[in-house]
Amino acid sequence: MSELVFGSKIMQLIIALILVSTFMILGSTRLYSCVRAFGIQSFLLASVAGIVAYSTGRYEIYIIALLTLVIKAAVIPYIFIYIIREIKVKREIDLYVNISPSLIIGGVLIVISYYLIRSINIRTELSSFALSASMSLVSIGLFIMISRKKAIMQMLGILIMENGLFLGAISLTHGMPLLVELGIFFDVLIGVLIMGILIFRINKTFECIDTDMLKTLIG
Amino acid sequence: MIEYLLLAPVITGILCLFTKTRKQVEVVSLTGSIITLLLGLILVVQVYRYDIIISWQNALFADAFSAFIVLIVSIVGFVASIYSTGYMGHELEHRIIDLRKLRIYYALFHVFMFTMLLVGVTNNLGLWIAIEMTTLVSALLMILYSRKSSIEAAWKYMIICTVGITFALFGTILTYYASVNILGETGEALNWTSLLAVADQFDPAIMRLAFIFILIGYGTKAGLAPMHTWLPDAHSEAPTPVSALLSGVLLNCAMYGIIRFNTIASRSTGTEFSSNLLIVFGLLSIGIAVPFILLQEDYKRLLAYSSVEHMGIVALGIGFGGIFGVFGAILHMFNHAMTKSFMFFGAGNVLLKHKTKEIDKVSGTLKSMPFTGPMLIIGGLAITGSPPFSIFISEFTILAAGFSRGYIVSSVLFLLFIIIIFAGFFYHISRMVLGVPKPEIKTGEVSRWMLGAMAVLIVFMFVLGVYIPPYFYEMLMKVVNVVR
Repeated sequence: MSELVFGSKIMQLIIALILVSTFMILGSTRLYSCVRAFGIQSFLLASVAGIVAYSTGRYEIYIIALLTLVIKAAVIPYIFIYIIREIKVKREIDLYVNISPSLIIGGVLIVISYYLIRSINIRTELSSFALSASMSLVSIGLFIMISRKKAIMQMLGILIMENGLFLGAISLTHGMPLLVELGIFFDVLIGVLIMGILIFRINKTFECIDTDMLKTLIG
Repeated sequence: MIEYLLLAPVITGILCLFTKTRKQVEVVSLTGSIITLLLGLILVVQVYRYDIIISWQNALFADAFSAFIVLIVSIVGFVASIYSTGYMGHELEHRIIDLRKLRIYYALFHVFMFTMLLVGVTNNLGLWIAIEMTTLVSALLMILYSRKSSIEAAWKYMIICTVGITFALFGTILTYYASVNILGETGEALNWTSLLAVADQFDPAIMRLAFIFILIGYGTKAGLAPMHTWLPDAHSEAPTPVSALLSGVLLNCAMYGIIRFNTIASRSTGTEFSSNLLIVFGLLSIGIAVPFILLQEDYKRLLAYSSVEHMGIVALGIGFGGIFGVFGAILHMFNHAMTKSFMFFGAGNVLLKHKTKEIDKVSGTLKSMPFTGPMLIIGGLAITGSPPFSIFISEFTILAAGFSRGYIVSSVLFLLFIIIIFAGFFYHISRMVLGVPKPEIKTGEVSRWMLGAMAVLIVFMFVLGVYIPPYFYEMLMKVVNVVR
């Protein structure tokens, strides 16, 4: 029994760290540090999956943990850095909402998610905690998408949302069936590649990747 | 059986990449889509006979509703590939695209077909994966022309739909959680067949939350207001045959996801909760389309907003429920697919000839385009729900369901909206077909292929308007039984 408690303490710590990494993204104006923070977040996520795999002893979850590590903590950040280098984008992020209000909004979103999840009936305390963290990631990811000007940050926002869902799925139900989980990984990877292609196209045609330029189709 | 149906478009797509000339790529694509159509029809017949087909270790399955989606995908896909031969051929001749792009176009076209077929035949909530794949492939099709506007449209489409789909994934996870509590953690816990059997034991609080997320998520993809903002951009900027697929088929695929979940959720929460949500979103979609259709200046966007309206009508029909409501909604999915593709094809003919999407700059097509002009009038009548065309039947059924089940206010609003839309739509169509043709436009049609594609669709629009064949009727009733 004590082992489980220890495991759940560690889980709580890691989940808290995941939230911290999200705030690193919210609080930074430099593209590289955002990507780095995303890498850290994915790494932490992989360790959550690792712990779940260890405590349940199911091999599929090990596979999922490994895939998270490879795809989300290594390949996707690499794709980001490749894009940033190739299109020589300005390293600073332009914001619609400044850093300090962003951080406050992030905090508010976490509180709201916490109360929202309280209202539904979840089996264990830990699952409920993880689910509220997952809701926070989803809402903060969404906020990042709408408050940052660069197209590349919208891509990062989507990935943060996806990470949030992954956290929810792994802590709530020990992950979806392997086939579904593999499909999701596949879609995320292809999605990132295609968004990358689109960003290159945007850069080529508009000579920058600010989403301000994408406002002609109305009505 | 199902595997072959899925393999056919993939193989065709790959073969398209290895062709050398325009002739070759067209032959490969046409042959491929005929094979896909035949396999689709065989699947429909088999499902008609055995009710449910399962294959590939339970991962793929087809019941009447799946078969129905497969039917829509393969018919419209087949017709769109005929149309593509004329349309993309014309683009090639005028050096708007080169042979390399033509190959990529056909390859993506068939992969797109594959993803949509996959939506129909996936035996679990992993349906999500297939729907996300449709977004990815169609975004690539949209940037085939490297115009500023199409890149903008593709980016918006990609971002908004991916976010929407992420919400749907959250709903899926919640549903899985609800089902795991009953079935235990097996791969089976996500399968339709096993879900349906135990859906009434699911925790209603969780299912309510799940259904909201699903409705918002797949609703984004289905173009329900207020999440429809990407739709007019995407559907008007894509190459015309793709617009037809997006409007006619892809929206139905997303709707399919919503309807499946509605079936599961309503077993646990009672029908009232999901019905009310569907009615609200449905009415909102129809209502929002009204001003945009009245004041529209771009004819492809006009058709796109009309798709928002029609998806609203389908949602409304499902929301009204009962045999008639669901029957009307399902029939409407089919009729809308046929009629809207037909309209997009007509718009494509006009676009190739006039090189503009502005309604103001097109006039007198009745004289300058002896086939397309009359077809636009027929299509305009059909899409706005006038008799004797098929959409009239399905809209009338839904309306009857609404009145008979006591949703008086919603039904009256619905009736009011479609009357205004009829007037607005017809005003725009008449501006395009009547009057004197622009002097620089020569009389004549662009390509016979394109006319052939439209001729196939008009059969469906006419026949289903006056008579529903008994086999088709029985199939629809099977779908209704699966869905209710």
